[in-house]
Amino acid sequence: MIDALFNWFDVRLGISGSSRKLVNKIFPDHWSFMIGEIALYSFIVLLGTGVFLTLYFVPSSKDVIYHGSYAPLRGQPMSEAFASTVNLSFAVRGGLLMRQMHHWAANIFVGSIVVHMLRIFFTGAFRKPRELNWIIGSTMLILAIFNGFLGYSLPDDLVSGTGIRISFSIVESIPLIGSYMAFFLFGGNFPGTAIIPRFFILHVLILPAVIVGLLSAHLGMLVRQKHTQFAGRGKTERNVVGVPLWPNFAAKSGGFMLLTTGVTGFLSAVFQINPIWLYGPYVPYKVSYAVQPDWYMGWLDGALRIMPSWEIVGFGHMIPNAFFPAILLPGITFGVLQMWPFIEAKLTHDYADHQILDRPRDRPKRTAFGAAVFAFYFVLFGASATDVLANYLSVSLNVVLTSFRYLIFIVPAIVYPVAYQICKELQRVPNAGQRKRANIVLRSADGGYSTVPSEPRPGDAVVRMDPLPLDEDIELVPAMAGVLVMADGGIGAQAASLDGPSEETLQPGADEGGERRRGGIFKIPRDYR
Amino acid sequence: MTARGFWRGALLSLALIVSASFVGVFVLGGLGDASRSGGSSALITASLTSQDSLTAAAQLAAGQTLFVENCSSCHGIGAEGGTRAPQLLSVGSATIDLWLSSGWMPLAEPTVQPEQKPAKFDRAEVLEIVKYVTSLAPTAPGNPSIPFEVNISKADVAEGFSLFALNCAPCHTITGAGDALADGVSAPPLHGVTKTMVWEAIRSGPGNMPRFGPGTISPAQVIDIVGYVVKDIQHPSSPGGISLGGVGPVAEGFIGLFVGVGLTLLAALWVGDRNEQEEDEGDDGAEGTDGDGHGGVQHGELAHV
Amino acid sequence: MSENTDGTTGSPEAKDPSLRVRIPVSSARPDAPQFRVAAKNPRRAELLAASGFLVAAAGFAGFGASYWQNYSSFWLSITFTVGFIGLGYGLVVWGKYLMPQGPFEEARHSLAPSANEREVFIEDFASRGKVAVERRGLLVKTLGLASGVLGVVLAFPLLRSLGPLPKKTLAQTAWRKGSYLVDISGRKIKPADIDVGGFITVFPPDDIGGAYSQTMLIHVDPMKSGYLPPPPQFTKQRATWAPLGYIAFSKLCTHAGCPVGLYEELTERMLCPCHQSVFVVRDAAIPVFGPAPRPLPQLPLYIDEDGYFRAQDGYDEPVGPGYWERGSD
Repeated sequence: MIDALFNWFDVRLGISGSSRKLVNKIFPDHWSFMIGEIALYSFIVLLGTGVFLTLYFVPSSKDVIYHGSYAPLRGQPMSEAFASTVNLSFAVRGGLLMRQMHHWAANIFVGSIVVHMLRIFFTGAFRKPRELNWIIGSTMLILAIFNGFLGYSLPDDLVSGTGIRISFSIVESIPLIGSYMAFFLFGGNFPGTAIIPRFFILHVLILPAVIVGLLSAHLGMLVRQKHTQFAGRGKTERNVVGVPLWPNFAAKSGGFMLLTTGVTGFLSAVFQINPIWLYGPYVPYKVSYAVQPDWYMGWLDGALRIMPSWEIVGFGHMIPNAFFPAILLPGITFGVLQMWPFIEAKLTHDYADHQILDRPRDRPKRTAFGAAVFAFYFVLFGASATDVLANYLSVSLNVVLTSFRYLIFIVPAIVYPVAYQICKELQRVPNAGQRKRANIVLRSADGGYSTVPSEPRPGDAVVRMDPLPLDEDIELVPAMAGVLVMADGGIGAQAASLDGPSEETLQPGADEGGERRRGGIFKIPRDYR
Repeated sequence: MTARGFWRGALLSLALIVSASFVGVFVLGGLGDASRSGGSSALITASLTSQDSLTAAAQLAAGQTLFVENCSSCHGIGAEGGTRAPQLLSVGSATIDLWLSSGWMPLAEPTVQPEQKPAKFDRAEVLEIVKYVTSLAPTAPGNPSIPFEVNISKADVAEGFSLFALNCAPCHTITGAGDALADGVSAPPLHGVTKTMVWEAIRSGPGNMPRFGPGTISPAQVIDIVGYVVKDIQHPSSPGGISLGGVGPVAEGFIGLFVGVGLTLLAALWVGDRNEQEEDEGDDGAEGTDGDGHGGVQHGELAHV
Repeated sequence: MSENTDGTTGSPEAKDPSLRVRIPVSSARPDAPQFRVAAKNPRRAELLAASGFLVAAAGFAGFGASYWQNYSSFWLSITFTVGFIGLGYGLVVWGKYLMPQGPFEEARHSLAPSANEREVFIEDFASRGKVAVERRGLLVKTLGLASGVLGVVLAFPLLRSLGPLPKKTLAQTAWRKGSYLVDISGRKIKPADIDVGGFITVFPPDDIGGAYSQTMLIHVDPMKSGYLPPPPQFTKQRATWAPLGYIAFSKLCTHAGCPVGLYEELTERMLCPCHQSVFVVRDAAIPVFGPAPRPLPQLPLYIDEDGYFRAQDGYDEPVGPGYWERGSD
């Protein structure tokens, strides 16, 4: 029956050829190539849970009185957005599960994008011809971070509402156009009533549409250019070695998607996230202590905290303090990030195509630089928790802040030479990081010693074979002809009518003159078994 | 040990220490908070009841003994204060009761910020000290006295939540987890405190805490806040799972990264392949074939590239 | 295909049986070791995967039951998790151990165009394009003009409709000369309402709860008469701004706009919870720690004949964080 269906499409759209190419597509199988898939699958979880949430969430700043089941909020005025989120958490069946899965999936989404980006960086997969894919990927990182911010701001609770206030101030701090942009974005002065509905449509429609578009381009380029691979047996710049899409990759990736969903579900079962009913609705004159943004915005918050209190004032104008850590820093960050393939090409004078990946240890300077830059942002990220750290470590807040102002320079300065040294040392040792086989020491009868490698552990004894090529060119027979299995086992062609092969000719199982028909898609030809 | 071994060991230990400390700090810290607060079992109902009469001479004498032994070295023999401690003559019974019941006083060390710990004195002894000190001088007007009974049965927790968010959350955090203020002092967490302590703290403004008198927060409003703290701060509704210490995105970020992304990376390690060992055995040809001699097609045969 | 001379259709070769084209069999090589499954014990692998699927079935059934019976979110989540992990595990075991183990390869063709492909493309593009635009400068220029005007004009609905111009809105609050100071419930505040070391969040009566007019009224000193002395640089302007030891500052932080709701009674400092800027209350709220660049604006107070707090005037500078047009106040 599936055969008949495929046949129906094939005759009209001619999909056999591209389908064959698709199922024969080879995917290199290294585990680090699956990190991007974590991002993809958590994005799918986000879309699925997000659709559920849009059916219940009301993106409105209109004041309502809460009459639901959560006693500390009963009778209190709040925005409809907040009320509908509390409703989702307590009254909608499965609502809290969906809310928590959505938020945990968002954290995993951005986290896996960052890890994926690091993998691409440290293995040099961004080099020619993949610079465009790197730019698209880093754009998606920016969009993912921004969409996450929009998403957790939607419930209009006290904690995220404070973040919205800060974002107004940040937009306001842009020279020349800042106050205009802030007023345009918010539909007036802060807080106004437009920002929640606008955040909603950005979060639910505009940014996801852009992300989906970029993602399609990202994956499309990956399919067209084929995946990179590490050096190894049988792998060259002119081939791709791995497993085919069907059935291996489909099964493993499909299973991995389910596992990723399962991990998200596990987090949602065990750990509570964003309990907005404990925070209460946002009101511009109320605030809580120990307020941080979600982790992927943490580096911005940390930068805002440790920035010294400088401001540029003159000639009737001002470049406010918040501009430097919140606009200039991310601007430079993302600018350099996007341009990195070209920067590195220029620094290394390497403009050639690269299909084989570097091991990070083989490029110590790039690895050390990347590690140092990552350490810089990690320290900024840590700096967003100055008050929480001061409290739990019982250290004065002043000491913590001052320390971070120094650490932001000291830590990268230490990380660079340490990482460089580690790369160099790993290079010198063969099979560093691989599991070693023990050497069994044997003593011969006359006292001499010799060593013999022990048996490999069960999981290690993978027999490495040369890769089997799949992409055999076939002579395509013009569509006029039918295809037959010949008596001697080969496949031949027979001219048929001008209108193309009759339906009967291509139906599997139909017999004609004793010659067997070829098998259908899911019918394995008898001589195969 | 080789240099490489040293670096690996150092890196591993550092990674272990960092992750363990983060997990410990943020996950267990939330639990640790509850135990740090001194154990509510040590605090019996701290209200004044009709059995506590304030005028018995024997209680005054006992109170004087306790005061001289434990408090006078800093607060002066006549509770007049000094360079190390403020005067206690006019502060009122509520203040003295609060500082003794919470265990802030006596200080563990003379120079340390008062920390909540198991109260040194039992209820009767606290009241004896209170009676003694308040007998030394009249309480200044406006300074609160120990409440007769803090009755929260009529507390409107919704109102209390709103008032808490306005007045208390900026220091104690909206979940009552407490946080660090400047210069080494901190706003303590609100778990493990009794309703009388909350009442007394609001009214007397201990230490750096501001003082909210009846003109700022009315008596009914104080009851609302106390009701909210005792019910929803100390027993928050957590249907979503482990509450991660109530510090919000900081802890959630760590869990999301280390547990969430970590678990999926481990899954990827299982699902995917590893890079091969570099060949050092030189048995190239043998590995490519099986017993029948049907080898993989030699990879030179890419004529149709 | 055209008709042949003898009236039949189809290529002549196709009708000749001896010219039947041999098509090689696909990439199927059932005897190659790469086609064998990876499992040393396929039966065991199959059992493992099957048990994963069974666990998943149980998990999903549990999810259905939890949903139907409206159990807590924990049960919904954990059954969901068990189902998906079981399914994923089974599928991965199948994919790793019970499928052709590989490795397989395919050729990587260079995507760079062949030598003349691009030239031919450019020629095709240019040759017909030339006919279209050569000596049609008028057309090109007028098209450019129309597109340009459209582009400029589109900025208006895309941007300008989004919100009003800021004008002077950021520089003003609702505080006026003579405004009463009221709390969030609208009650007018008297000095006796605030104990020493206490504070109230206050607003002008016509903007209760206003984001920009929020003000912290703090009782710093139990003065019986007179005014809190301002710091030296403000001795002239602010001599009478803080009657009887009460002082009022804008609650909107000058760094990023969070409410500075944290008042430390003993050290007489305001601490902003967002990024920990510290303002010294007796020193005209000058920031001494953290990223805040400017002191909090002070609201000048007086006490009227009925004993209520009122503002002598609005704030003398814009409140809150800085922006380009703020000038050098």
